[in-house]
Amino acid sequence: MTEPSGKIEHVVPSTRSTVWTLAGITLTRLTRGKALWIGGLFAALPVIYATGVHSRRIAPAPDDLFKISLLLLALLPAMYVGASIGEEIEDRTSTYLWSRPISRGAVLAGKLCALVPIVIALIVGGWFAGILIWTGAAPSATSCVALAAGSIATSLVAAGIATIVPKHGMALTIGYLLVDLFIGALPFSLSALSITNQANVLANLGSSPREIATPLIAMAVIAGLWGAIGVGRIRRLEA
Amino acid sequence: MSIVVADHCSKWYGHVLGVSDVSWKLGGGIVGLLGPNGAGKSTLIKMMSGLLQPSRGSLTVYGQNPFHDPGVRRRIGYAPEHEATWDELSALELVTAMARLAGVPAGRADRAAKDALAQMGMTDAMHRRVRGFSKGMRQRTKLATAIAHDPDFLLLDEPLTGVDPRARVDIVERIKQLGAAGKTIVVSSHVLYEIEALTSDIVVIYRGQVLAEGNVYEIRTLIDRHPHRIRVECDQPHAVAAALAAEDHVARLSFERGAVVIETRDPDRCYDQVAGAVLAANVTVSALSSPDNNLSAVFEYLTGDGGRR
Repeated sequence: MTEPSGKIEHVVPSTRSTVWTLAGITLTRLTRGKALWIGGLFAALPVIYATGVHSRRIAPAPDDLFKISLLLLALLPAMYVGASIGEEIEDRTSTYLWSRPISRGAVLAGKLCALVPIVIALIVGGWFAGILIWTGAAPSATSCVALAAGSIATSLVAAGIATIVPKHGMALTIGYLLVDLFIGALPFSLSALSITNQANVLANLGSSPREIATPLIAMAVIAGLWGAIGVGRIRRLEA
Repeated sequence: MSIVVADHCSKWYGHVLGVSDVSWKLGGGIVGLLGPNGAGKSTLIKMMSGLLQPSRGSLTVYGQNPFHDPGVRRRIGYAPEHEATWDELSALELVTAMARLAGVPAGRADRAAKDALAQMGMTDAMHRRVRGFSKGMRQRTKLATAIAHDPDFLLLDEPLTGVDPRARVDIVERIKQLGAAGKTIVVSSHVLYEIEALTSDIVVIYRGQVLAEGNVYEIRTLIDRHPHRIRVECDQPHAVAAALAAEDHVARLSFERGAVVIETRDPDRCYDQVAGAVLAANVTVSALSSPDNNLSAVFEYLTGDGGRR
């Protein structure tokens, strides 16, 4: 056994440093587990579908591929964000975090900073590649923005649900987002509360800022609500 | 100045009582928190480390509420009882990350983590992933996460559980060194001899309450005032009982299947007489044990309720 080298000055880590450290840990853990590769397989579904259509010269309705991507919105954020936050709390590894001089909101932010870009990359990447294979051209910018915004919003929903019911964070998030898909398909105004419906509306609009503002704001409100629930809940959580 | 002040502090988990109306002050040094499983040791430690809030009363560390004040938590090093860690990381990555989250600057975190792991005898394994570690190696890694940021106050929840004898000696020695260096350390255990190896200052906690506080030898004296049980498992329990029945130190004799349980006020004399009786009557003994080594039995004596409360 050796002696420690010098007294370490006690400082409370900054929020930025905490978020950065936690994002790094989350990414390292993700890349060393199986979840990233399983999610990658799911994200390849639009590509597989488009390849099948292309090879058999079938011309399905253009919406089919986007519907697969919307389904992924219900799955991937739950797999990554919901599971990551839920397991942290349920497995009690959170005790290491809560006993440190860090803000609990920063813990949530760190995880989201690491996982949301992956969710966006997988969902938008799958959509982009699928359309490219199917039509030979890139998809519209608004459809990519719609899926990216939907990914952020559903990730915040997953974070909120996982802080409330950590044990079943992933399953309940999938359940909630499947209900969201169902509500989005309803022919009356309740569908405005659906993230997937707003993403669908946004994808079919033109690119003028005025047009796309309404669905983006709707998604931001729903996501903000769940984000606030998540932060509020995590600040009160005991280990 | 007291480092920890608990004032009528209680904690419930729904209907389950964790800690009940504890009023206690911690001055410094190494203090052993002794109690059987479920006594409330971990609850008290979690409240001191800022993981739990009291349901009633208050608990402060360095004059602040550790649940709400990050400034206090930066001075605390906590090693939890459970084994769960981020298994995908190597020991060095884990301890470095924990040091950074405890406020060690990025440029010094790696060095601090290596030092902490070296102190715990983990240098050779520091690049291996935690997933493949034995229980003892996990304990050492957990302790390294607790000390890497050089805290003033260490909370170690059952740090010797599952550790092999050699590692136990190393860890005990290291904890003593930290205490000698001026750190305040609270170590919990349900094993009296583990605590005795670390410190003579103990707090006995049982059923959520602080039962006794002071020098471990005073607690031992208190324990020794009460009858001590000796269980002799043999082929002729009645013959052993007959040989001892008339002795003045024997408070009670009872029989279990294939065994006699002797309650005595003089254990040393009793052991000698049991040996004599066994030899005289040619009794075959299959086991000789003292149920009082079980800490719960000792605490039942101390509370005087025989565990019926």
